[in-house]
Amino acid sequence: MNAVLLIAVPLIAAFLSIISKKIAPYLMLVVGLFNLILVFFIPEGFVIIGGFSQSLGINLLFDSFAKIALILVNSLVLIIFFLNIKKYGSYSSILLVALAGLNGLLLTNDLFNLFVFLEIAGIAAYLISTSNKKPTHTFHYLVLGVVGSSLYLFGLIILYAMFGTLNMVDLIGKIQLSGNYKNLILPFLLMFIGLGVEAKLLPFNSWVKGILGKSNTLSGPIFASVYAATIGFVLGRLINNLFMFEGSLLTVVIVILSVGILIGEAMAFASSKAREILLFSSVAQASIVALLFTNGIIIWAVYLIIANALSKLVLFLVINKATEDTGTDELDALQGLFSKNILVGITFTLASLSVMGLPLLAGFAIKLNFLTELASSNQIMLIAIILISTLVEGIYFVRMLVKLWYKGENEVSVKYNLSFKIVFVIIALALLVFGTYSTPLNKLDNSIDTIQEVVNNG
Amino acid sequence: MIQYVAIILFVLGLYGLLVNRNVIKMVISLNIMEIGLNLFIISIGFVYDGIAPIITSSAGTGALIYVDPLPQALVLTAIVIGVGTTALALAIAKSIHVKHNTFDLNEVEETV
Repeated sequence: MNAVLLIAVPLIAAFLSIISKKIAPYLMLVVGLFNLILVFFIPEGFVIIGGFSQSLGINLLFDSFAKIALILVNSLVLIIFFLNIKKYGSYSSILLVALAGLNGLLLTNDLFNLFVFLEIAGIAAYLISTSNKKPTHTFHYLVLGVVGSSLYLFGLIILYAMFGTLNMVDLIGKIQLSGNYKNLILPFLLMFIGLGVEAKLLPFNSWVKGILGKSNTLSGPIFASVYAATIGFVLGRLINNLFMFEGSLLTVVIVILSVGILIGEAMAFASSKAREILLFSSVAQASIVALLFTNGIIIWAVYLIIANALSKLVLFLVINKATEDTGTDELDALQGLFSKNILVGITFTLASLSVMGLPLLAGFAIKLNFLTELASSNQIMLIAIILISTLVEGIYFVRMLVKLWYKGENEVSVKYNLSFKIVFVIIALALLVFGTYSTPLNKLDNSIDTIQEVVNNG
Repeated sequence: MIQYVAIILFVLGLYGLLVNRNVIKMVISLNIMEIGLNLFIISIGFVYDGIAPIITSSAGTGALIYVDPLPQALVLTAIVIGVGTTALALAIAKSIHVKHNTFDLNEVEETV
């Protein structure tokens, strides 16, 4: 079993699905399931393609970091598509391309290859966003996405000109030997900004409001859970191993991310639309993840990505389904949504409380651990910023929950399918289980990302 | 020298994206930016007095200086991706026109 199959099979299936539109949705389900099972049977290590030596050819890296990411992303895509198979079955070919691109992003060990997969995943994302039926927002997203990936390409070409390699392991080794960080500030900054567009980091994320603010039950969870998680993992890999911010660049990045957290939470607080609240909360969470990676807290950043992806899947599905049925996402108009959907209400409450980081939920265990690690490295300012953001988050989530639970003047009638409810319950239970019994989370540590180890061992 | 031209083109494209509100002009700006970037990549592989990196019977001894072939391969990929995104951008531009009867984003905002 080879990790290349995780990319090749969805791509071949995407071509096949164009030939027969009828089998396309089923092909998507089969391929999604195949990929998910395959991840467990692939041995960890490098996958050399074409028989070239490692520094010359394109190769993939399948380690614990990639494995966790692949399991999460493939299962989420499968779940989201399964829930939307009737309404958005025609998007199966695009989702197959997206799956190939996202798996490639998580596996590749080559920086140019990463750009190619970024574009493949990006093109699929622009097409998925057309399901919102807002072409001007899709166009805006496309323009920003292309500018972002062009900046990333610009940065990596400068690195190639300096070191003569695109292989991540080889490049990191050469950078460590050169020991001159000042010359690397420009390419690293260009690459960080480029990835920041897709990672929803402020101020490079003006596309988010148009896309997630008008999303549906397919595009909302895909962008808020799947794409956010994938780019989070990719950014983590690059920040930890390649960028390793230091000096003035570290200060600039930390300021950008801290401001991103505060502005994201403030905008969520100021909004009265349910989807906008969730999307601005996602913006703040993306900055927190990047901030943790910047401080070398890998494992808790990974857990935070997973918890956020699961929580946001529930939150966006609940709100987007309600928006589709009622035609509005204004909190006032959705008042009393859970008075008739008690089970959905409970799962939504648990997911939002987990994002806030309340005890007994996974979000709390994760937040407690990364705050402890930040405290042990004397990052008092960052702890204060995260605590302030948690407080603001608490206010707007509780305000939203109160509105959605208590009946208003108008009755809100939204019907959630059984499949939706099953997914919500499983995710809510997972958040509860890992919140009350977090011992399994302590089994893994920062060594899940093996690139530094490989570089140091030559 | 060619690198300065490439960077100027890149910045020109970026400027075009910032100041234009017509989607077709924005797509053209996007392409100018990509051309600038592609030129920059090609210029990285340039070697003075170097020849094309093709082994032939007359130039296969390895004693000659070749230009770096990798940036050329990268540019080919970047061009293909650029064409793909341009096609998609034009398709979206068309659907904007169908929906709002204009290519101007200012007018679109007024009608929304």
